[in-house]
Amino acid sequence: MPLVFTLAFRNLFHDRLRLVATVIGIVFSIVLVTVQMGLYLGFGQMVTTMIDHASADLWIMPRGTKCFEDPSLLDTRIRGRALAVNGVADAIPVVIGFADWRMPSGASTPVFVVGSDLRAGGLQPWDVVDGRVESLSTPNAVAVDKSYLSRLGIAGMGARAEIRQQTVRVAALTDGIRSFTTTPYVFMDVDRARAHTGVPSGKATYFLVHVASGATIDGVQHNLRENLSDVEVLTTAEFADRSRSFWLFGTGAGAALFAGALLGVIVGTVIVAQTLYSSTKDHINEFATLRAIGSSRNYIYKVIICQALLNAVIGFGIADLIGSAVVYLTASSALPIVITPALTMALFVLTVVMCVVSAIAAIMKVTRIDPAMVFTR
Amino acid sequence: MNDSVLETVGVAKVLGSGAGQVHALKGVNLSLRGGELTLLMGPSGSGKTTLLSILGCMLAPTEGTVRVRGESIEGKGPEDLAKLRRDHVGFVFQSYHLFPTLSAADNVRLALDVRGENGREAKAKTASALAKVGLSQKKASYPRELSGGEQQRVAIARAVVGSPSVILADEPTAALDGENGKAIMTILADIAKAPDRGVLVVTHDPRLVSFADRIIHIEDGTIVREQSREGARTLKNILGGA
Repeated sequence: MPLVFTLAFRNLFHDRLRLVATVIGIVFSIVLVTVQMGLYLGFGQMVTTMIDHASADLWIMPRGTKCFEDPSLLDTRIRGRALAVNGVADAIPVVIGFADWRMPSGASTPVFVVGSDLRAGGLQPWDVVDGRVESLSTPNAVAVDKSYLSRLGIAGMGARAEIRQQTVRVAALTDGIRSFTTTPYVFMDVDRARAHTGVPSGKATYFLVHVASGATIDGVQHNLRENLSDVEVLTTAEFADRSRSFWLFGTGAGAALFAGALLGVIVGTVIVAQTLYSSTKDHINEFATLRAIGSSRNYIYKVIICQALLNAVIGFGIADLIGSAVVYLTASSALPIVITPALTMALFVLTVVMCVVSAIAAIMKVTRIDPAMVFTR
Repeated sequence: MNDSVLETVGVAKVLGSGAGQVHALKGVNLSLRGGELTLLMGPSGSGKTTLLSILGCMLAPTEGTVRVRGESIEGKGPEDLAKLRRDHVGFVFQSYHLFPTLSAADNVRLALDVRGENGREAKAKTASALAKVGLSQKKASYPRELSGGEQQRVAIARAVVGSPSVILADEPTAALDGENGKAIMTILADIAKAPDRGVLVVTHDPRLVSFADRIIHIEDGTIVREQSREGARTLKNILGGA
């Protein structure tokens, strides 16, 4: 084992109380950053879940649409014009809107209706655990997520309720289609969705465009933009980005999450810097001895940075375990915390950078060491 | 006579400024020769520590020249001086300055590690240095497990492991009893037999005179008397030394 590492390791473990305090500081900081960034990613995924699960190459939407939940309307004649554009295989109408769900008990709760042409695909419920998507074509059939059953005041499959004084019947149950707005999604056929949301029969919220084989998405997007006025044509990725931007930055939610993460980094840096500085101060005689016997400054910096890196590895290891537990515990919540391998890697790099930056104060201290002090102590 | 391994010419040092200014050294000329153990003696405040710091390339003189193995330290920066120390100077301190969290062997190996020497050869040199001071059996012991005399022997092993040209020892026996002090001086005297290595021991202790080849007396920042090997022997006889 390199002696620099041995010295750093022993310096660190020599004062276990201080080591524990340092590690707690790092763990607190990194868990805070993990939760904030995990919420950011989870929120980012939740707000685009409908867009990501729709079978669309391109989305036609009213100009100025900010996000999927924006209930502006298009004229259905646009569909015919879109189908006439070279490279368009299909343009499937989607209708969305808020509605009032009246439970069998007489109480009511708001729901978010998602209607699509079920024969052509489009935006259908996924992760169906009871019933079949095809059964949504039968009269009054709807699909809801099983996690919302109690919220909707129903028992499960076959249960009946009312939307706009019209009866609906649960014909399929999904698992895990949660809404970040906490308003339950209710899937149904597009015509029934119009009836339940009050959208006129000649209107739709989106048209999901399927590109014909042999045509490129970019090319068809260009053609549609050339031929359709007063609408926007976005790829799925572009619409997801726009939705994410709106919810995360248009509402300030993302800024709040980043501010929390930044606070975590600052707190962690200060704690590690303080403990590394006091550790260096306690070992100042040893660093002066090193200098006296001819060590270069770089050698001493290596010892201190090695201490900082050891702190980082220990702290990150524990924080990662806690983060994994948090991910597991929030997996089925309305806003799950999502940690991707890339985020884990980024957090590790952040921890290392935080700890190395924290070593600056300690390094400045040893830079000023007078080796001659060994004769007077 | 052997070549000079370390010399000062007209070295002066002023410490502090203004009304608090102190002329710690006033034109010190000194030469340490290989194969000699030299004692530097003088009362407290005479400038011994300041001179030792300058000889050890830790402090720059206000005036005068210091040469280590013929190389002047004039104009050298802190990193160049550190290189001179690790290449040419070994230190033995009054309070040992061992690393409490490292074993005896690692304390010694540290002096090689800072020179970029590691691996098997460094371990062999470390074992040899510990054997030279009679501590082969205690290489895995930590400083807290060693007596004062043993700790100082580890410090001596650390000082010699890199085969420096000069060993500078600051009151190496001050914290030890007579028997341990004698053992330490015997080791240092033995080390000083190498013709290319000089040993300078700063001390108050007149009992150490018996080990000296030369004694330099410093008072008030000036070398007031220098006794040759013969003079030292006469003094040894007067004091009843070995």
